[in-house]
Amino acid sequence: MERRASELEPLICKARKYVVLMAGYDPGIHLGSSLSVMEIVAALYGTGRVKFNMANGVHNRNYFVLSKGHAIHAVYALAAAMGYLTLDELRETGSLGSRLQNHPEVDTPFVDVANSGSLGQGISLAVGLALGLKIRGEKGRVYLVVGDGELDEGQSWESFAVAAHYGLTNLITIVDFNGVQLDGHSEEVLRKGDLAGRFKSLGYEVFEVDGHDVGQIISALEKAENAGRPAVIIAKTVRGRGVAEIEDTAKQRLSRDDALRYAGNIC
Amino acid sequence: MLDIESLTPREALGRALADLGDLRQDVVVLVADTGETTRAKFFAERHPERFFNVGIAEQALVGIAAGLAIAGFMPYALTFAAFMTRAWEQARNSVDRLALPVRLVGTHAGFADAYDGPSHQALEDIALFRVLPNFTVIAPADSCEVYKAVTASAALKGPVYIRVGRDFHIPTTCGLYDRFEVGRAYTVADGGDVAIFTTGAVLPFAVEAAQLLRDRGVSAAVVHFPTVKPLDYSAVEKYAASTGAVLTVEEHMVYGGFGSAVAEYLSQTRPTKMAIMGLKSYGRTAKSPQELYQYFGLTPENIAARAEELVKLR
Repeated sequence: MERRASELEPLICKARKYVVLMAGYDPGIHLGSSLSVMEIVAALYGTGRVKFNMANGVHNRNYFVLSKGHAIHAVYALAAAMGYLTLDELRETGSLGSRLQNHPEVDTPFVDVANSGSLGQGISLAVGLALGLKIRGEKGRVYLVVGDGELDEGQSWESFAVAAHYGLTNLITIVDFNGVQLDGHSEEVLRKGDLAGRFKSLGYEVFEVDGHDVGQIISALEKAENAGRPAVIIAKTVRGRGVAEIEDTAKQRLSRDDALRYAGNIC
Repeated sequence: MLDIESLTPREALGRALADLGDLRQDVVVLVADTGETTRAKFFAERHPERFFNVGIAEQALVGIAAGLAIAGFMPYALTFAAFMTRAWEQARNSVDRLALPVRLVGTHAGFADAYDGPSHQALEDIALFRVLPNFTVIAPADSCEVYKAVTASAALKGPVYIRVGRDFHIPTTCGLYDRFEVGRAYTVADGGDVAIFTTGAVLPFAVEAAQLLRDRGVSAAVVHFPTVKPLDYSAVEKYAASTGAVLTVEEHMVYGGFGSAVAEYLSQTRPTKMAIMGLKSYGRTAKSPQELYQYFGLTPENIAARAEELVKLR
């Protein structure tokens, strides 16, 4: 179902609340990263580009690869906000026996690729998937969400070069550019240089947007889909967006008390 | 197979893929700037629309192959065995954990690329792929077996690693059997005093060793295991029981490879006097694989000597 940006805002807020709630049950989730990517995920699922019941009798469908797999809780939370998961199941995330594992695995619902716990590998898979759809003449697109820290991996650029070389216009890449990785601010850990320039030099059409403005992301998606060449949307975001105490930090964990308190203050 | 017998192992690989491409529309081939050297170009010439070169990028090679498998294709990804191992973690996380039907083919394995020295001589690949739970691991002995094994691999559901040489081979299996069965060992010679088990291109050396042993009054069985995983346990068991002395020979490190696979099994089921022949160090630059076999002692004479020692000490 297609939703306008204004209709998505309340769902996004609810999903943020659920991510923080999950952090109260499982200290193992990557909170800051799930919060930064939320509008990006909402722009994809909220507009019907990708679906929570994606394989439900659909041919020529679109695919979703969350290469920064540790942010999978954004997907779980949005699924709950949109009615595809119960809060009971969210509370079980990360527990043995739950299908809501802390990286996309083979039994994880809602995403197409289960290898993205290891950074850079979702990018290659998305490229292979897009190549396969192209040579079979299918109309479906592959939406690939990557982190900026993940771009340190050599495999990322190996794969982006292949996508550009084979002219994969059915691959839409979105960078969740939150500027923070495991050891701290990305520029301090390893300088990323002119990210847009790196993609442009390979032949990509590059769009730069405010990654917390879902309307901007949707309009960039529309342009990227009609760019006529491989496209990248660099979405500037804030790690931990929505929880002031951890915004723009490498902090991923909260005590249960803090998590419940913060969740209570959202929406 | 006479036609195939005259090909080199890598040519047999290229031919097998090209023929497989005729039979199956879902077969795609990927290379990492190795279309010429792996002879994947035979496939490219016949099926250009299903051939992809990712450049010198092994991690992308394996990951993109996995993506193509998710899209419903059966990818064969080819590069030097020594560099395929660079993408081991991709083989683990993008292929094996997802149990995808990706076929990784490592060429120039063992001493096949004598010219380029130890950086190009893969002696660890069997161990590295054998440890991944879902991978089938196949090491053919000659071009006939390369052709048959590659063809047979298409029927497998999960991931496969196939270890291929370059130009050197001594045709040994061409008349040995008609149909290659994955997971089956083939008896080349029967004997009761000692069993020599081989995988890969060293098979003819074991056959010659058995002849040398016969002259010395030692009756040696030679059993060839083109499939290292799953190992033909019944063949291992049978010859361990009938001879009580097992010698394994492989063009690979003695650590974690074919000999280790045999030892892991026998030590838990039928402890048997064993010797594992292979390499314990990196290779060297040389003018031919034959020079390297000599230098590192993988020769019929040495195999016979080890087998004789095993029989005497049993």
